[in-house]
Amino acid sequence: MFRMILFTQWKWSRLTLLPLVVTAFALPLLSVQRAGNPQTTPWEARQLLNSVESWGVAYPVLATTIALFMAMTAWSADHRGRHVYALSLPIPRWHYALQRFGAGAILLGAAVIALWLGALFAAGTASIPAGLHAYPTVIAVRFALALFLAYAVFFAITAGTTRTAGYVLAIIGGIIVVQVLLETAGVHVALVPFIGDRLILWPGPLEIFSGRWMLIDV
Amino acid sequence: MSHAVDIRDLHYRAGKNFEIRELGLRVPTGSLYGFLGPNGSGKTTTVRLMLGLLRPLGGTITVLGASVPRDIPRILARTGYVPEQPHLYTTLTVDEALRFHAVFYPTWDGTWANELVGHFQLDRARRLSQLSKGEMGKLEMLLALAQRPELLVLDEPTDGLDPVVRRDVLAALLDYVSQQNATVFISSHLVHELERICDWVGVMDRGRLVAELPMQSFKNGIKRLRVANPPALPGDTPFVVLAREAGNGASETWTVRGWQAPMSQYFEGVGASLREVIDLDLEEGFVELLRTFREPRG
Repeated sequence: MFRMILFTQWKWSRLTLLPLVVTAFALPLLSVQRAGNPQTTPWEARQLLNSVESWGVAYPVLATTIALFMAMTAWSADHRGRHVYALSLPIPRWHYALQRFGAGAILLGAAVIALWLGALFAAGTASIPAGLHAYPTVIAVRFALALFLAYAVFFAITAGTTRTAGYVLAIIGGIIVVQVLLETAGVHVALVPFIGDRLILWPGPLEIFSGRWMLIDV
Repeated sequence: MSHAVDIRDLHYRAGKNFEIRELGLRVPTGSLYGFLGPNGSGKTTTVRLMLGLLRPLGGTITVLGASVPRDIPRILARTGYVPEQPHLYTTLTVDEALRFHAVFYPTWDGTWANELVGHFQLDRARRLSQLSKGEMGKLEMLLALAQRPELLVLDEPTDGLDPVVRRDVLAALLDYVSQQNATVFISSHLVHELERICDWVGVMDRGRLVAELPMQSFKNGIKRLRVANPPALPGDTPFVVLAREAGNGASETWTVRGWQAPMSQYFEGVGASLREVIDLDLEEGFVELLRTFREPRG
């Protein structure tokens, strides 16, 4: 049963997943393209770190993109059929949802492995200045955590009805509108930054996305 | 008599404009039950409630001896369902759709499924999105039949299909029923189609069950009578007068329910004479029934 659900997920997502997996492989290689002479000066090493850091933002963005795409494809066929087929299958609903989630999660593994291999290759081929080190496995693990966290969030949202998605958007929109109204009224309450910090900074649930994503660091 | 489907005091509301109230419905085991009703009468909603796709506000639903929604996976494993709208994953090929469906049903009959693919002339390599409406209808019926269900729930299964495809689909259905003694619950507004194949009929209108009886009783019970010199007030009739229409001169046409031949004596007793008894087909009976339901005569 799970094999067939995995098959459908693969069929629906393969065409878009493939370029994203290639991107995951290429990203670490692109981030170390400025690595050159191992006898580099401290100033040049600093420039390399800046370059690697500037590419760092691409990791959470890529993780979010892949997760969003995978979550949407997990439910799109059922949404089109108004979930009648899935609901008429003789398995409990939670069981079906869990298998759909699992199928998507397994395919996400391809992106993680690609990024890990890309990072290993980049770390192995780049000339890293003395005093700096490559962390290919660490960045791959972090990418995996971000990817699965984003996937879980998007999967839960897309599993709901259009109305549910509307509620989520309305809450986000409502917060922004309140912020604008407060600013207009001269009340300086940083509502959006406050909520953003609570989500993204430790111990916020999305903390994994923030901070520095460094393949090469001290 | 055991019942494959037993619904009691069902209550469901969808928005402000539609409500199913106090619905009671019993489908005898082994019967071919035609579920009739005009568009928007609540047939599809009832089917979805029956299969646990919707949650009722009240009442009990028992299907194949098990309770809905508590035992719904067990019920669905023994039930073949063809919904009103095609619901399959259209990006799959016919072959993939068969393999996907098969893994969920322990009673799946792969050999028979292959036979039906040939019989229905379906191309296994074709994507579902490329199938015609008729081919999709055949595939939906194939999937429902090949799981060898005890109960088949068909919601407008032939709506929009051409006569040839319709005949193929119904022939496959009747073959299966004759072999397996399965129960069939078939919802439709195509009255003539149900008249040919069903042995029980339930009529629904505006969220209420108007009538539920054997097809033969339904067809025989509703008659049109030509009456000469009819009384101004019919009084206590041994049948139910559904409608009276003035005819030529001192004659009227009465549409009645519950008619039996000995009841003609009633007319002699009130000084009228019965000129003719006309059989109504199911569609005419259905229309008269709905008219009475919507405009009660007290």
